[in-house]
Amino acid sequence: MSKIQDLVETLSQDAAVARPAPHPFIMSMKWLAGMTIYLALSLAIYGLRPDLMSKLHEPWFAAEIAVLIVIFVATSFSAALLSFPDLHQMRRVAYAPALMFALFLLVIFFSWSADNPPAALPIHTYECTTCIVLVSLLPAAWTFLEMRKNASTHFRLAGGIALLSALSIGALWLRLHEVNDSIKHVIEWHYLPMIGFGILGMWLGKKILKW
Amino acid sequence: MTEKTEPLEALMKQAINGDKRAYAVLLQETSRFLRPFLAKRLNMAAELDDLMQEILISIHKARHTYDGERPFKPWAYAIARYRLQDHLRLHYSDQLRQAIDLSDVENSLPDPVTKSAVTYESIRGEIRALPQKQAAILKMMHQEGYTAKEVAKKIGMKESAVKVAAYRAYKILRNKLERL
Repeated sequence: MSKIQDLVETLSQDAAVARPAPHPFIMSMKWLAGMTIYLALSLAIYGLRPDLMSKLHEPWFAAEIAVLIVIFVATSFSAALLSFPDLHQMRRVAYAPALMFALFLLVIFFSWSADNPPAALPIHTYECTTCIVLVSLLPAAWTFLEMRKNASTHFRLAGGIALLSALSIGALWLRLHEVNDSIKHVIEWHYLPMIGFGILGMWLGKKILKW
Repeated sequence: MTEKTEPLEALMKQAINGDKRAYAVLLQETSRFLRPFLAKRLNMAAELDDLMQEILISIHKARHTYDGERPFKPWAYAIARYRLQDHLRLHYSDQLRQAIDLSDVENSLPDPVTKSAVTYESIRGEIRALPQKQAAILKMMHQEGYTAKEVAKKIGMKESAVKVAAYRAYKILRNKLERL
């Protein structure tokens, strides 16, 4: 017991004024604002797809974009909450992305069913995955750096969600930039690799967020 | 419950603002309410003290993630659980590393005391006296090393029939050997 008393004494003498971490909603709003500006800039540099306005009138394309935005928002909130030891006592919000992913799968399934006759596959393949990853690098680095300042007790999940949040920006960028109507290609080279990167995010979470 | 936790939130708020006395009281209170939680999950008192120290240091490191606006105990328990899992993971991986491989000691183990003294060779005569089919089945299974399935295939019987025949043969042999 005396060891504990000594430690309490030492720690309390060491305690200076601590600046509390920002509220997770403030954190995520900052990310949302920053990444929206980043997305807008990237699209301004590389250009929007010329047929975007007409594509947005297609219900499943519009739904896909809307759900991607919802995933981006939900994963941002979730990543911020997961960077706190107790998830800021908002467990349901922290796990909300699971629902959004289910909704996303549903939308993709209906888009696939509606793609009849199937649109022509583009010539390129892995280039799309590479583009998504490259565009997502900066948001991912920023998110991880910010999360590292806190103390996550769910570091694997936090890492996976943070990377998916960043990748959703890359995926949004590509869907709004690339002229491509093949949902099969989009599933194969945009969204399936994202799942793989989500797993990589869990590994990164262990390496970067464990304390 | 609320009466107990309220002062902790207030203490933590004061501690974040640099009140050393409040912080000392808070850490003492924290170690007091965490002790039974850890004691239930650990066997040794020394281990408990080591882990408690780790938890208090972690609480100190992570104190900026607590704003004093939400209940303190769930926050402290989250950190305690996290450190406990880490501690148990390390503990068990250490135990696995130190575990002795069975193959290293099997040469020094005594001979099995339950080893049967009855072998196929020692009761060859009794087996020959069995009905021809049963004797053939036991020969193939216990002298030539075939499985029941392989015997069934060889002699064109069902596997279950081979097992039944073997069982009947064992029964006859047991009766005979008990009379000896």
